[in-house]
Amino acid sequence: MTGPFAGLRVLELADEKGHFCGKLLGDLGADVVKVEPPGGEPCRDVGPFLDDVPHRDRSLSFWYYNTSKRGITLNLKTADGRALFRRLADEADVLLETFRPGYLTGIGLGYETLRASNPGLIVCSLTPFGQTGPWRDFVSSDLVHMAAGGEMASSGYDHTDLPIAPGGGNAWHMGGHYAAMAIMAALVYRSVSGEGQYIDTSIHEACALTTESAIANYIYRGEVLRRQTGRHHAMTTTLRTQFLAKDGNYVTGLISGGLNPRNVKSLADLMNVYGMAGDLRDPKYADPATIAAQTPHIIDGLLADFVASLPAEEVYHAAQARGFTWGAVRAPEDLLGDAHLHDRGFWKAVEHPELGRSFLYPGEPAIYNGSPWAISRRAPLVGEHNREIYCEELGLDAGELVAMAENGVV
Amino acid sequence: MTAKRALENIRIVDFSWVRAGPWATRWLGALGAEVIKIEWPESERGRLPSSTTPQGLPVNLNTSGNFNDTNVNKKSLTLNVRSAKGLDIVKRLIAKSDVVIENFSSRVLRNWGLGYEAMCEIKPDIVYVSMSGYGHTGRNHAYTTFGPVAQAAAGLTFQSGLPNEAPAGWGWSYMDDTGGMYGAMCVLTGLFHRNMTGKGQHIDQSQMVSSVPLNGPALLDFTVNKRGSRRPGFPPGNRAHWPGTPLVNNYRGPTVAPHNAYRTAPGGYNDWCAIVCHADTEWQALQALIGGTPDPRFATVAGRLAHQDDLDAAIEAWTSTLDKYEVMTRCQSAGVRAMPVQSAEDRVDNDPQLRHRGMYRPLEHPALGTFAVQNAPFAMSETPAVNTLPSPMIGQHTREILEALLGFDADEVRAGFADGTFWPPARPLFPYQEEMLR
Repeated sequence: MTGPFAGLRVLELADEKGHFCGKLLGDLGADVVKVEPPGGEPCRDVGPFLDDVPHRDRSLSFWYYNTSKRGITLNLKTADGRALFRRLADEADVLLETFRPGYLTGIGLGYETLRASNPGLIVCSLTPFGQTGPWRDFVSSDLVHMAAGGEMASSGYDHTDLPIAPGGGNAWHMGGHYAAMAIMAALVYRSVSGEGQYIDTSIHEACALTTESAIANYIYRGEVLRRQTGRHHAMTTTLRTQFLAKDGNYVTGLISGGLNPRNVKSLADLMNVYGMAGDLRDPKYADPATIAAQTPHIIDGLLADFVASLPAEEVYHAAQARGFTWGAVRAPEDLLGDAHLHDRGFWKAVEHPELGRSFLYPGEPAIYNGSPWAISRRAPLVGEHNREIYCEELGLDAGELVAMAENGVV
Repeated sequence: MTAKRALENIRIVDFSWVRAGPWATRWLGALGAEVIKIEWPESERGRLPSSTTPQGLPVNLNTSGNFNDTNVNKKSLTLNVRSAKGLDIVKRLIAKSDVVIENFSSRVLRNWGLGYEAMCEIKPDIVYVSMSGYGHTGRNHAYTTFGPVAQAAAGLTFQSGLPNEAPAGWGWSYMDDTGGMYGAMCVLTGLFHRNMTGKGQHIDQSQMVSSVPLNGPALLDFTVNKRGSRRPGFPPGNRAHWPGTPLVNNYRGPTVAPHNAYRTAPGGYNDWCAIVCHADTEWQALQALIGGTPDPRFATVAGRLAHQDDLDAAIEAWTSTLDKYEVMTRCQSAGVRAMPVQSAEDRVDNDPQLRHRGMYRPLEHPALGTFAVQNAPFAMSETPAVNTLPSPMIGQHTREILEALLGFDADEVRAGFADGTFWPPARPLFPYQEEMLR
């Protein structure tokens, strides 16, 4: 079996804004050809690096976001480079690009030009603010997108007004998810109509869409929500849900539906397994008024003490086994020891043949039972597939490739 | 001429509830699919409890604003799937559909007798997407999630906050939004594969597992370099690096300063502007905006990182005299990456870019009235994604679906209401349901 996008050719001209989108398509089986400027895409300079040795072929960030792609170099500032690009675009199904608005059109490689010789082509531009509008030429980064998109207005602490942007580059993930969804929809449409199209995706809009009910609270009630430590934004301060465990790690423990007699009894039963129920099994807690009056005692006293008596993982599994929707707050490295992920075959060993080593990579977001997700290869080295693609596939002879390299075309 | 739709003629049987699943099918509806939301008022989750009912309207199954935004472009069929008659109707619907999607816990559909194999007997090329907390396989498949729990268990929460403090986490269910994106992508991928091969499949999406790949560089730093994230200075607040801790990349782009949120005038709760300088030239441009004598300690990125507290104080002394949009405008005019922290109010009312792009457009809902609804963050030239229907009132399309798709006549519809198949007999009907039965 092969991936669901097997047989599709994607050209990716993308920096940090778009390489995650290309990975989503490549790991699902598309043949993604990453077209980089000579010397390589500058986001190869972003760390961390293998053994902390900076090098354009050793960026772990680049490695992660560019699995299942082949890589070529091409200088679009040269006429020969643009001519070669036209030949590549004529054979492609999808073109993903993150240049500043209007750049490709300005060098004669806009959608209208490309579709003239390849009407089935899907072109997706993925840019900070989209192709139109007063902010379209603004410059951005992950952090400033999290500010403008509203993520920071929703995340932070009880004790300070400082808004916090969650880390990990998620503004690029949000843009990449929506761009991938749009490309996939265009592919479904093309599979019945044969028609391609142009897609203008805005990372700012994707981020602005990704704060759950914050927008609805404002639109329907005029409410602007406040930040709360480790839990949902809300109009007023809510009960804390984050508790420190014995091992110094935290547990996220929400009481779904709030503290009511039924939930308090379940909580007492859970804590009693460890002899930590305190007075929570007292019949007085059948009375909602008592529970309301004793809420600080229950949450900040008994529940906090219970979590503090055990390692976070033990609280997590004991609580889930009893129907509590709780989680341990794991650091990323903790996930390598997660038995459930191992059961699902989640971690993938990816060969790096030039190093003679293989490394574990995170695997599939979803198991495709009929057309498996797979990392088909590690990220390309700079220009790794120039010969394979220019000579073996486009039919240039070796001398032509050498001459183009000498003249700064590839 | 009506625009073409990417998912023209695609029909989806949608059992999903709460947020992640409905967020997926909202977009599939915007792309042109016919989404049939199967609901039951006694076990409904998503319409109630509602904290987004407009002031002045009664809180009931049809007045949640957040439900409306999350469920545009769908039809609602009320059906007791736990009755033999209800289950038979579900099967007849699946026979006429392309996709089944649900976000129950892992064994629910199978326990109804609607596992993937059973669905294949009804519709051999069905695309079945399950969106459970932990997936349908693996020892913890029965565990349950909310967004915050998936985020915690999968490493996302840990990456948000100040060093030496509790995690700030995510102030909302990021993985309900994002789980919904994966659900929608699974459906689209499954449909493409079916169109190319003629074969359907079961795609087993998990909210917790989908969160893990969003930590990619941090995970590789561990699997490759053996560097964990439990270390001094991590997570580094809004910075790329926390002063006084070992200089390492913290997985949010290049290790640079400035990289922070700064107070702006008049100092209100959301009066902040984020500013980031990558190249020295960007810092020089910012310094020119601030004015005064350049501080030689800040001339290089190494110097700015080493003296980040003083650097941030110098920047904030400037930003705190200006409105956040003024900081943005001045910085952007000079090529400096800067954007204001925008609340929901700012995005809806004060963001000229979102206004220009039509992010929030009014849509009339029969019970709520006319309110703005969120639109797609992408413009498709041939098959635009547009909101064509407000969220359905519960059971609003029961008769229409039964008659048009399954050939029921009016008497059969009435009989189904009487015998509890389409509505709990003891529960009062809404006026539109009374009308439906006339």
